Amino acid sequence: MTSIRTYLIVALLSTVALGNFVAAVYGYRSSMIEAEALLDSQLNDAVSLIATMRTVSTPLVDAPSSLMAFQIWSADGKLIQRSANTSDAPITVFEDGYRDENFEGFRWRVLSRFDQQQQRWLLVGERIDIRTQLADKVILHAVMPIVASLPLVALVVWLVVGNGLSLVRKLAQELGGKRADDLSRLTTSNPPVELAPVVDAINDLLRRLQESVLRERRFSADAAHELRTPLSAIKVHIHNLRNEYPDETDALRTLDRDINRLSHLIEQIMLLYRTTPESYQANMQEVDLHALAQSVIGDLYADIDARQQSISLTGSAQTVTGDRDSLIILLSNLILNASKYSAEGASITVHVDRAELGICLSVADTGPGIPLAEISRVFDRFYRVGGDRHSSAADGCGLGLSIVKHIGDLHHANIVIENNADGPGLTVSVIFPADFQSPLIFTRHSAC
Amino acid sequence: MLVNSVIIVLREVLEATLMISVLLAVSRPLQLASRWLAAGLALGLVGAAAYGYFLGPVSNLFDGVGQELVNALLQFGTYAALLLIVFLIARQGSQPYRNSRVLPTAMSTAIALAAAREGSEILVFVTGFLHMDNFMPSVGLGSFAGAAIGCSIGVLFYYFLLAMPVRRTLRIALALLALAAAGMSAQATRLLIQADWISVAGPLWDSSGFIAEDSLPGQLLYALVGYEATPSATEALVYTASIALMALSIFLGFRAAGQVPTRVQ
Repeated sequence: MTSIRTYLIVALLSTVALGNFVAAVYGYRSSMIEAEALLDSQLNDAVSLIATMRTVSTPLVDAPSSLMAFQIWSADGKLIQRSANTSDAPITVFEDGYRDENFEGFRWRVLSRFDQQQQRWLLVGERIDIRTQLADKVILHAVMPIVASLPLVALVVWLVVGNGLSLVRKLAQELGGKRADDLSRLTTSNPPVELAPVVDAINDLLRRLQESVLRERRFSADAAHELRTPLSAIKVHIHNLRNEYPDETDALRTLDRDINRLSHLIEQIMLLYRTTPESYQANMQEVDLHALAQSVIGDLYADIDARQQSISLTGSAQTVTGDRDSLIILLSNLILNASKYSAEGASITVHVDRAELGICLSVADTGPGIPLAEISRVFDRFYRVGGDRHSSAADGCGLGLSIVKHIGDLHHANIVIENNADGPGLTVSVIFPADFQSPLIFTRHSAC
Repeated sequence: MLVNSVIIVLREVLEATLMISVLLAVSRPLQLASRWLAAGLALGLVGAAAYGYFLGPVSNLFDGVGQELVNALLQFGTYAALLLIVFLIARQGSQPYRNSRVLPTAMSTAIALAAAREGSEILVFVTGFLHMDNFMPSVGLGSFAGAAIGCSIGVLFYYFLLAMPVRRTLRIALALLALAAAGMSAQATRLLIQADWISVAGPLWDSSGFIAEDSLPGQLLYALVGYEATPSATEALVYTASIALMALSIFLGFRAAGQVPTRVQ
């Protein structure tokens, strides 16, 4: 993923660095040319100075050695005087002008000039490495601030770009912080010219989305109502038919069962829609999960007892932040699933307790369990283990656990389904975060 | 000394950064993770340090031309890796490159070989001045400036390539890689000439008055297309043959991808 901030900082810094360094190098180069000219003129002055020197009568006398060298030759090619750091050979050709020469193990800048007055050649040299070092030192001091300013420029660019992009970051934070069901307008006030079209487009999209959600809700409510009414009427007609024909036919029994299935399916579809986290209007409050489980078990006890199954509640009182109505649906679905897919006489255990990662609610049965390969699919809508030929022959539409998943997501809870390790049966664990505002991040599937 | 340091370091850095820029720009549409770059650079730096450390013994090999021969070998190695890279890129087009490690490995190899050769030369140059206090400030600053200029040009060139439509980026990248690779092959030939392994007559032409090799444009052209102001006929021949081979590799890549219509009998 590309980052605007990284792009701007890297591209700007590269441009600044390129400009600064090229300027510094060219500045250095032109300063060096100037310095060379200056040093050459100094060399010229040195020659003029030597020209005023009176030469001693003896033909060859060593002058003190220094970083400069000189030789004085007569017009007919006899060495008159030289510095100690030169040999008897001429250090350059007898021709007016500046030249670079090698002698005494160094490279020298040498000026050769013919002294018309005294008819002699004046050859004066200066070590190039010393000249360069001197010029280098002076110019480096001038160039260094350009280079040294780069980290400061980098810091300022970093801060300016960061500040410039802070509005984008704020917008992203506002969008990211919106609840799934919050379709209200963005509150970003006075967005910059570049961001205003984005904010407008998002607000327009939110408005259309909200309208669409409202339309869907109205449709669902209408559809539920429209479907429930004729179903209720059909049920009444079946009841009347039973009265008219006390000897029930197979067709009537099948009709009754199918109508009940259809009615259950519609209720489940409505429930599935209603519990979708994006559209569910949750009323979050402190709920004692243990007490709630006790109440749900009480409501369902007759159905469980009719199948000669036993149910027990263990654990302790634990409070979670949740939506009471949806938690009742979650508990009912889990307990009824456990009852439905377990044989007659099976036992069901509901357990509520504090776990390592939060508050754990588990419903365990002694039924056949689920093959490992199918566990990951049980949350899929309309998915039934073993398909329509489910071994339990129990009626169902494959939506129960999808609804449980929706409600789990609504509560930022994690759901783990495992076959019992110590015998046949299945345990469904729902782990609620201890703090609703800090959703659990599960790095692995962990049951209670 | 500062300008010399800039030129020497810039020459080495620019060649590597421009190749990295082109390969990085290509790896975006191919959706290659940039691990190949990290691996190539790491290997290259280790190689540079090792090569720099053993440069003395290496130089003494083959009657004192060991360094030239090893450098030529590294250049030809980079050329071979680039030959494979352009074929794979041309064959892949702008489709994500998956299920094979050949292209990333070839990219890492090209970067590692280039970085080892160029890094060792920088290392040897800079360490040569370590004990010369008088020169160190200007050599240090010059090297830093050369590296900064080279890296900056590489970064800006990378963004320039990315700013273009993907197909054009790929085609420009292929052309640049072909030219840069041919330049390396010509440089390798020049090294063999220096080592007296190949004998040649004088230079074919001298364009140093037009673009000097040590000027910034000269350095850029050297890194981009292997510019030489005074090439010999052999170098020009090798350069042309290398480009032809690169073009053939690209053509075969396009044909393998079905982008070049084959004649129906």
